Amino acid sequence: MNSVILGGGATTPAGATAAETWRLLSEGYSAPRVPVPHPLGKRSYLYCAVPEKFVRTVGRQARLRRSGMLSLFGASAAFDALRDARVEVGPAFGARCALIYGVSSGGVQYTRRFYHEIVTQGASSASPLLFPETVFNAPASHLAALLGLNGKTYTVVGDSGVGLSAIQLGDELLALDPEVEYVLVVGTEEVDWLLPDAFAAWRLASKDGHCEVYGTRTGLVFGEGAGAVLLARQGQGPVVAQVHPGQSFFSRQDSRRVALEVLQRVLGADRPDAMVTSANGTDADAVEQEAFTRLNLAAPVYAYKPALGDALGAGSVLQAVFATLALRHQCLPGTLCAGDRCALVNRQTRSLALDRVLVSAIGFNQQVGALLLERTGSDAADARG
Amino acid sequence: MVAVKRKRRVFVTGMGVVSPLGPDVPATERALLAAKDAVSEVTFFDVSKTRCKTAGQVEDAWLSEAMPRSRKANRLHRSARMVTLAVREALNGAGAARPERLVIATSSGGMSNGETYYRELLRSVSRRRFAEYVANYTPQKPVLDALEEVRLRVPVQILTNACSSGANAIGHAFELVRGGLCGCVLCGGYDPLAELVFVGFDSLQASTPEKIRPFDRGRTGLVLGEGAAVLVLEDETSALARGAEPLAELVGYGAATDTFHLTQPDPSGIGIKLAMERALATAGVDPGNVDYINCHGTATALNDATEGAAISALFPHRVAASSTKSMMGHALGGAGAIEAAVCVLALREQFLPPNLHFREPDPGWTFEIVANEARPAAMEYALSNSIGFGGVNASLLFRR
Repeated sequence: MNSVILGGGATTPAGATAAETWRLLSEGYSAPRVPVPHPLGKRSYLYCAVPEKFVRTVGRQARLRRSGMLSLFGASAAFDALRDARVEVGPAFGARCALIYGVSSGGVQYTRRFYHEIVTQGASSASPLLFPETVFNAPASHLAALLGLNGKTYTVVGDSGVGLSAIQLGDELLALDPEVEYVLVVGTEEVDWLLPDAFAAWRLASKDGHCEVYGTRTGLVFGEGAGAVLLARQGQGPVVAQVHPGQSFFSRQDSRRVALEVLQRVLGADRPDAMVTSANGTDADAVEQEAFTRLNLAAPVYAYKPALGDALGAGSVLQAVFATLALRHQCLPGTLCAGDRCALVNRQTRSLALDRVLVSAIGFNQQVGALLLERTGSDAADARG
Repeated sequence: MVAVKRKRRVFVTGMGVVSPLGPDVPATERALLAAKDAVSEVTFFDVSKTRCKTAGQVEDAWLSEAMPRSRKANRLHRSARMVTLAVREALNGAGAARPERLVIATSSGGMSNGETYYRELLRSVSRRRFAEYVANYTPQKPVLDALEEVRLRVPVQILTNACSSGANAIGHAFELVRGGLCGCVLCGGYDPLAELVFVGFDSLQASTPEKIRPFDRGRTGLVLGEGAAVLVLEDETSALARGAEPLAELVGYGAATDTFHLTQPDPSGIGIKLAMERALATAGVDPGNVDYINCHGTATALNDATEGAAISALFPHRVAASSTKSMMGHALGGAGAIEAAVCVLALREQFLPPNLHFREPDPGWTFEIVANEARPAAMEYALSNSIGFGGVNASLLFRR
């Protein structure tokens, strides 16, 4: 294994593209918190929304006209990654590219609408237009159609570490299937009121839109959007040096041991120059931080979630995109709203000599994953954007 | 980076199944041989306002055996019990196998917990059990519960490719072992019945109020099912070194995407034909050598027409084919794995599984439906097809 990330894309509350998002993150941007629409109860929640104008163009595609936001975000980020990689999309690409989607909550907006009809109006009123979009692999199907793909199209599901599982799967496809020349990995998430309300049941959701990482446990603020990376066996870009798809843990105490084990396995004898983490204002921050301490890691830590919200299914792919951009630009943004419990937190955007960036992800549903990206000679010569 | 060139033989050394046909492999085999119709009136939720009122259902009594009684076990979703039963039976059957990974599939996970949560939310009742519903709702949770129950700690990949998920999971596990990235992988799929999904298929008028009749000229649609199946795939060297007795060899896997429509397969059959061709090419097996096809065969007009056209175009001989969904319904994310297990049983015991409620084929099809009864047959190769929403297609080729 050791595939190369040829390009990265993103559609986030900050920008329609990864480049725009990165520029704003580097300037200390924090996405505005807006109320989650369509509340079903008295509770209200704030989240980081992707402005509709960011996906207006991609939404004009005939195949996407009835699809949910999940599909629009994913397609938008995917096209951004393909542009970044400068690959020509055509029949030859369609025959040689596999597609892997990472999702967490799936099409929760359509799922809620569909089930609401069942509960309130009876099963005979359920809409046949909504149901297909509730299926987890609907976004992958739409994107495959837009790109003319006819090979392997997989959707993987999991918690906020699912993107790393998707990248691992992509890396494996490149290693195992000679017919596959590219793998497009997309992670995507949309927000419905049900999500923060469900997380509130576990006291994991922020009550006021404030998210402090490595400090007071505020709970997470939801975000939405998508990230995408295009993998290939060779080319210009950072190398996937190691990836762990996710190890399960069976208790909170167990999570500390598993996090240590996963990071140890991914790092081996290597030491990262920076770490892009999944810190989100929940208990997971302490687990991650403890593993860093026990491994004597001294690299600066960047956590994007206070700025853009936690976009679960998109979360770790976005981390991989930001790690790629950090290597490309030799720069690490400052982490917003960081508490004082982690001395490694990078608080101001700064230039750094970066050869290796670690991505770590700890999900709420008992999974820990990690990814180590390495800058190569050709990547160092890359002066893009 | 270069693609792995070395190819290892991949054996099935363990298998576990829980389905409407039975709680384990022996019961499943007996039911297949007896052509048991395991479709019955749905009891888990209200079906008074749906056209279709039947499904294949796993008996709760079987699931109670999965875990010892405890407060924690009582809170788990029934699908966690299905996966536990299947994983445990597979591991017990495989003896001293040491899986390095679990690749498993689902399409709806613990959906019924989400449904209960939503109904209670609308009724504004106490939020006391919300945390429990939420915790057990996610598709990965039943899998992690099962791993915890059997005390197996391995990395997990969970595929959710609609109705071809189970075959895709086994296919990826096959490629991991064949390419030497793993020596032993647990793989399979699961899905429990859920009201939202049941109503969804009903709203599409894909499900039938009548008997499910795959490949029958008068077919009227599918019925849903549920269950789980798990295989232990192991490379030849490690399987033989520990004296394992292979149940079958997995020799080919093909996957293809057809981008015709989100819910309808390309009528030409190009998607599933390509998947079958790729599975056969992986194995280097001529279509004429295939003895049996366990079809996707949902009994919808479009699916069977598409698959029938593809099989007729690819296979030069009158290959035997059946859809065992006619016996137990369509278990969605679990179906590809359950049907892979059926192929392994058919090869091992040398019989053709039946296609129930069959009367008359569509004109133009050149394959033979194993109508209504199982029958003995000398078989070397069996192919299992899966077709899913989103245009996903997968084929697995097993050898005796």
